[in-house]
Amino acid sequence: MMPFQPDAGASAGSVPGPIVVSARFEAIEIDLLRLATTQLVDMLDAATTDPQSALTDPAFQRLLPDAYRDDAEAAAEFRRFTSDDLLAAKVANARSVLDTLNEAPGFDSPGFDSEGREQTDLELISETETDASVALDDTETVAITLDAVAVQAWLRTLTDLRLTLAERLLIGPDGEIRLEGEEASFLGGLYDWLGMVQESLVYAIDA
Amino acid sequence: MCEAYSVALTVELPDLHLRDAVSLERPWITLVWDDPVNLMSYVSYVFRSYFGVPAAEAERLMLQVHNNGRAVVATGNREAMERHVQAMHGFGLWATLAKDDA
Repeated sequence: MMPFQPDAGASAGSVPGPIVVSARFEAIEIDLLRLATTQLVDMLDAATTDPQSALTDPAFQRLLPDAYRDDAEAAAEFRRFTSDDLLAAKVANARSVLDTLNEAPGFDSPGFDSEGREQTDLELISETETDASVALDDTETVAITLDAVAVQAWLRTLTDLRLTLAERLLIGPDGEIRLEGEEASFLGGLYDWLGMVQESLVYAIDA
Repeated sequence: MCEAYSVALTVELPDLHLRDAVSLERPWITLVWDDPVNLMSYVSYVFRSYFGVPAAEAERLMLQVHNNGRAVVATGNREAMERHVQAMHGFGLWATLAKDDA
């Protein structure tokens, strides 16, 4: 990935508002970010449908922490009044990130058609058979440009992804990863990479 | 005319009492807690963009969270603090509200 930079405004705008920042991602990075964000959307959707079972997932203690530390009743009431809106906002942010990824110029996303609609297996198979040449080569990079609204969605979704991954990695208050094994090294790498993307985005909008 | 006055009085009185009660109450605070996940640059950005504080003040609050484990980022009535906490949770920061102990 080439870090986010303040955009000079010269790029062709595929986004509605003025472009604020742009970066270049490798195709595999786009795929990885899309996969992680799709899983986040699924998780948030499931929590919206069944809030009770979501409460048993420790990741939600990071995404929607108790608003009162020493008053369980007030914390539960706050959750009752705010969790629907917060979850809806988190889903909307994540979907906005997916939209950016799917609309990135020069990237024909596998699994999604040009409108970002998810394709069926049948559509995918036929596309693979008839037109394999659209797939990007691993060395090609994809330009990601964000307007001010998209920047907000990206910052927040990158945070939600890292909060969720931190729980899966069993990261304690000291920041150390306690999960072991192959999964830990893959997820740990993803966690660090998302942090780097976010940091570059924060610096770019500050510049 | 007299009647109109008395109506006005009965309407206004409870209002005055309410105002007294509010002003005597200890204020509420919004706290942001240190977490191992959020980047220092991002926390500082959130304080600056949401609370509208200058960069140096945002940096000072962020370092307070980082070094002391928490910082008071706002003071006011309970409803306002609940709105701030909800906004902080929207940013993915670990925030709570409480009555001011001081």
